[in-house]
Amino acid sequence: MKRQILTAAVGIITALLVGLLIMAIQGYPAFESYYQLFNYSLFSKFSFFSTLSKTAPLILTGLSAAVAFGSNAVNLGQVGQFLIGGISVTIAGLYIDLPPVIMIPLLIFIALLSGALYSGIAAWLRLKFNMDEFITTLMLNFVAQYFTLYLISGPLLDKELFSPMTRPINESGWLPAPGGLDSTIVISTILLVIIYFIWHHTKAGYEWKVMGSNEMFAKAGGASIDKNYLKVMLISGALAGMAGAMLVMGGVQHRFLKGIGASYGWDGVMIAVVADSSIIGTAFYSFFFAMLQTGAMGMELETSVPSEFVLILQSITVLFVVASRKSAHLLLNKINILLRMKNIRSGGGIKENELND
Amino acid sequence: MNLMIELIRSTFLAAVPILLASLGGTYTYYADIFNIAMEGMMLIGAFTAVLGSFFSGSWLIGILSGIAGGLFTALIFTVFAVYLKTDEFVTGIALNLFALGGTTYFLRQIFSVKGAFTSSKIIPLPDWNIPIIEHIPVLGELLSGYPFLVYITFLIAVLVEIHIFKTKFGLRLRATGEDDAAVDSVGIKSDIIKSKAILLSGFYCGLAGVFLSLGYVNLFAENMSNGRGWISLAVIILTRGRPVGLLFMALLFGFFDGLGLALQNTFIPSQFTQMVPYLATLVALFFYSREKKKSKEESENESMAV
Repeated sequence: MKRQILTAAVGIITALLVGLLIMAIQGYPAFESYYQLFNYSLFSKFSFFSTLSKTAPLILTGLSAAVAFGSNAVNLGQVGQFLIGGISVTIAGLYIDLPPVIMIPLLIFIALLSGALYSGIAAWLRLKFNMDEFITTLMLNFVAQYFTLYLISGPLLDKELFSPMTRPINESGWLPAPGGLDSTIVISTILLVIIYFIWHHTKAGYEWKVMGSNEMFAKAGGASIDKNYLKVMLISGALAGMAGAMLVMGGVQHRFLKGIGASYGWDGVMIAVVADSSIIGTAFYSFFFAMLQTGAMGMELETSVPSEFVLILQSITVLFVVASRKSAHLLLNKINILLRMKNIRSGGGIKENELND
Repeated sequence: MNLMIELIRSTFLAAVPILLASLGGTYTYYADIFNIAMEGMMLIGAFTAVLGSFFSGSWLIGILSGIAGGLFTALIFTVFAVYLKTDEFVTGIALNLFALGGTTYFLRQIFSVKGAFTSSKIIPLPDWNIPIIEHIPVLGELLSGYPFLVYITFLIAVLVEIHIFKTKFGLRLRATGEDDAAVDSVGIKSDIIKSKAILLSGFYCGLAGVFLSLGYVNLFAENMSNGRGWISLAVIILTRGRPVGLLFMALLFGFFDGLGLALQNTFIPSQFTQMVPYLATLVALFFYSREKKKSKEESENESMAV
């Protein structure tokens, strides 16, 4: 754990330094820009709440990828599952109107279900026809993208507006925002706790983790790989579907518009990767990425660094954190070996207590 | 008849970027490197090609800077995946997003536009007319007058086949993919072979990007590679990296891409026709996986019989 925090810190700081360099080379006030980045994402109630409402869907797409990768299921279809979750909730929200107490849980259920069904297609293709989910989920992303675009520019189009989008869903499906705090973060936190519990405290979670590290061992231990794989894929899709629904049910738009939450799917993949599929790590990096994205607009406003700069910052953070994790591991091993060789050369031999660690 | 000619022409045009990228990916495939950064290499190549062509006014500089963009991306991949031992999958994912973010950022920073950048100052690749053939009625329309990179690409396919299967480098490359420790043990540095493979893939993906932004169309748009890198990777897996197979598959996808365009003017909504290449990939993968499963079961049955 300690080593994880250390390597994360080294990686993040290196990435921020590289970012500093990139900005400085182009003649932007680099330190001022960073200050504004944090200023507009943390230092006031409004900006902190905005960061939290961005964190909410990121946690879910991040968890979606983390659960899958951690169990050796390469679900790269967060983008598609996200869109399908979003559009399903939109359709339900447009045509169903019930009191909020029933409506909101119903929409949440629809979001989870539709996301799971969509990732279920890829899981089925894998189990039945042995088709690699890594390619099928990617291709299904594009299918979902064009399919939702068709729906919002055809059958579901709000004809009073000029760009492809639907009408707002019925008000009974809107998530409350007490005191300006988007309640999506509550749903995300609840799902985070549930996944944490399953992952660390149930037999299924244990089997999934073993599957992630050593499939042969899991098989030998009597775990049903196919059944577990299916469960993991369905949960992964459900989480991504819920993330998509949040953008419709929460926030201010309450409708499905073209390019909605375009980056959340891949951000989730990056978050899971940089967190090494750890559940707590996913929560941390979701917040970190949300902070960067929220602060970006403020940074652009104050020091005119284009807000897209944080996209670069995110990807180099991933590279440096992962690289520092790996090199820390290699470096520590090397130091260990060097120390031992020195010991042997000085005639000390290998001490017993050294062999035990 | 005109429709048929249009369809065949768009097949060739749409096949070229996929063919170029998958030829590049063949090197990393044989070196056993999981190269999912092709999408990003292509996108950066497309961007730097426009950059070079726009500021120099020369398509040649456009090509060179597009290739440089692909090589630059490949260099980052090499540093992280080969020398810092970062996971290839992770490096590839991060690089793809770096490419998407980076090109979007610099599109705004340099040209002050969001979405797409077009300008008459972006000099496209010149078209080649084949002497004699260009005057033969149908044949001329089918074979002549493409951006010259189209003709070069088919030549490159042959060269890559020779490079990988008939040269010393190709042998070492394939040996590295089979067992890199064994290659190291005979005094050849497998890390260097791997780096070369990644850089070669960057070279060809950069060239694929050049074709996208200076040949296929004449502009740069955000995320304009639009999954072609992924499709190329699927094509490599489906053909097990044989350049002849790549050629066939790339043309097939080009055909579906072109078919999508041709169907656009019919009653089918354009969003469905745009899905066609991706659905075609799924169908191709279905047949591939079924064959593989069948042959695996057969060999299992045989071994049981023995």
